[in-house]
Amino acid sequence: MANQTSLPAVDIQSFAMRYGPKEVIKDLSFTVNKGEVFGLLGSNGAGKTTTIRTLLSLLEPSSGTLLVNGKRYTPAMAATVGYLPEERGLYRNEPVVDTMVYFAVMHGLGREEAKKRVLAYLERVGLGDKANERLVGLSNGQQQKVQLGVTILHEPALMILDEPTEALDPVNRSLLMNIINEQRTNGATVVLVTHRMEEVEQLCDRILLLKDGTSALYGTVDEVKNKFGTTVIALAYNGTLPLNDKLYTITKQLPHYAELAWREGVTADEVLRFLAGAQGLHLTTFDVRRPTLNEIFLSLYK
Amino acid sequence: MWNIINFETLRALKKKSFWIASFAPLVLIVIVIGIEYFSATTATNNAAQQTQAYSASAKIGEFDDSGFISPQLLAAQHITVEPSKDAGITAVKSGTLDAFFYYPKDPSTMAIEVYAKDTGISFSPPYNAAAVQLLHQSAINEVSAATQNSEIVQILEGSPTVTATTYKNGVESEGLVGIIAPGIFAAAFLLLFVLLASFMIASTAGEKENRTAEMLLTSTSAETLIAGKVISIFILGLVQLATLAIPLLIALLRFPDKLGLPAGISLGTIPLDPVPILFGALFFATGLLMFTALLVGLGAMFPSATDASRFLGVSIISAFLPIYAITSVISSPHALIVTIFTYFPLTAPTTALLRNAVGSLSIGEALGSLAVIIAGAIVAIWFAVRAFRYGSMEYGRRVGIKELLR
Repeated sequence: MANQTSLPAVDIQSFAMRYGPKEVIKDLSFTVNKGEVFGLLGSNGAGKTTTIRTLLSLLEPSSGTLLVNGKRYTPAMAATVGYLPEERGLYRNEPVVDTMVYFAVMHGLGREEAKKRVLAYLERVGLGDKANERLVGLSNGQQQKVQLGVTILHEPALMILDEPTEALDPVNRSLLMNIINEQRTNGATVVLVTHRMEEVEQLCDRILLLKDGTSALYGTVDEVKNKFGTTVIALAYNGTLPLNDKLYTITKQLPHYAELAWREGVTADEVLRFLAGAQGLHLTTFDVRRPTLNEIFLSLYK
Repeated sequence: MWNIINFETLRALKKKSFWIASFAPLVLIVIVIGIEYFSATTATNNAAQQTQAYSASAKIGEFDDSGFISPQLLAAQHITVEPSKDAGITAVKSGTLDAFFYYPKDPSTMAIEVYAKDTGISFSPPYNAAAVQLLHQSAINEVSAATQNSEIVQILEGSPTVTATTYKNGVESEGLVGIIAPGIFAAAFLLLFVLLASFMIASTAGEKENRTAEMLLTSTSAETLIAGKVISIFILGLVQLATLAIPLLIALLRFPDKLGLPAGISLGTIPLDPVPILFGALFFATGLLMFTALLVGLGAMFPSATDASRFLGVSIISAFLPIYAITSVISSPHALIVTIFTYFPLTAPTTALLRNAVGSLSIGEALGSLAVIIAGAIVAIWFAVRAFRYGSMEYGRRVGIKELLR
């Protein structure tokens, strides 16, 4: 019998899902290690939600195995898993505290402990005065915070968050990102389903990008960037950007911004020296950088 | 499961609409009893008072060919004696009289004729009643004078009470009063079904509308959730029954003679035969369980409570269908239609409850019907679990039966 601590938090092997003749997931395999933040990415309809629902036994796979801590998920494991679904909602006409305590008890907490944690959480996210208000009276962003609270109050070892920062303003998004990062620091494993590539870059250790039901990218963020993108020079400037086919090609150009790919055998220093001496050009930024995940994402969907 | 029962029950009990629905039947019963009480009092007094009331305010004449009408009563009620029938009719036509009563030679076989001013439909009947009352009272006076027997007069003036004793298989049967205890289960079943039907549907349709299904199904099993919801609905049903029953019991104990119970029946005289009561309780519980699970399942199949409610009527008609055939259910318990209703799952609870109450259900039939209802309840629970398991995540669309059977 395998040691529980050595098992991956999520282990999906040869997963396929068919609806009649249509195969929406094809031979998908990946693992999520304990303690890491894993990004599950993909455009709408790529199969992310189907994969998560099948992992949590809400759907039956056509073939393959999907395991959480080495076992097929059952609600008996609810105390160890926190799930924030894409299609989410709460009891709109019930008080916030009642709804949160209800789910917290369902996730294995005692009623008193649940209430204590609910009130502390609400205080932390700035909703301390809303505890006894009905959910329908809260803004979308406030309801979103309550949703996240329901997912993490029982301090699950594995959190599966489907678009957790959707509908949040930048301040609240930052607050929730901090909370997610805190859970990770405390040892939780996080599976983050998101369209926001800046969140992925900030939080994720490894990613998998689903395209048409298959794995299009899989690995650490660095591995993916190394494998699927080329390093570019990003310039911010005033004036006229000169052409120089021997040193570089311009891959993207806006009125005061451009990206250059330098020729083989040429160094970034040489390009910088050339541009610094160019007549009629004033450089304000010269940045040698790898492509963003957003750029890689877009290039894969072109 | 306790967490689910606690949450579902408390959130319903906190709603005003629940208490309005709970107290509505009681309020209606109080209103009906009040109307009945005052109507009965008014009806008793009306006939006696009509003659005086109308003779006091109206000019009434009469002509008597029968010889029964008492001159003393005519004088007391200021009714004039007209010279002839034609003269009386002419007096009404000319407006000299408001009404004229003509008593034929043999009022036992011939109609009393009333001629009156047309003052609207509502004022016509009192003249008829007054004419009859005058003849009736005159006849009583005559019998009283002839017999000098006050008991005969009392019999004629009142309505004597009757007690009936019937025998079934050589043993004295309880008659009408025997229906009451098992009949309460039939009434409670139909009442609760009507009161709770929309609650049953909303309990799962609401999860779909609120988008809570996925979070619930990853936190607890569909079986536990459905069981918790069904038990919660049962508890709410018991609360609604108590809301109705407790005030009625108090009223019956305090005002036993004013609440319209048949003569001679009081709470203490209602027989408590254990067999029909046991079957009544079983039909009530299993029938309610079956319909609850069915409606909970329907709620999970449809995108919203509004969509699911379209099928609510079908369920309610199924439960009430035996009421439309109640004459056959009571008087011809072995008719084909009654047999079908007794063993068809959706009509079985009401039919069995009614037949159990009136004593036309043998033990064998009761066990057969109970088996059908229990089987129906098991299928309904299975359907509800699958409908919630596979239907509650299909937002915005109805799940087909084929998909549930996959």
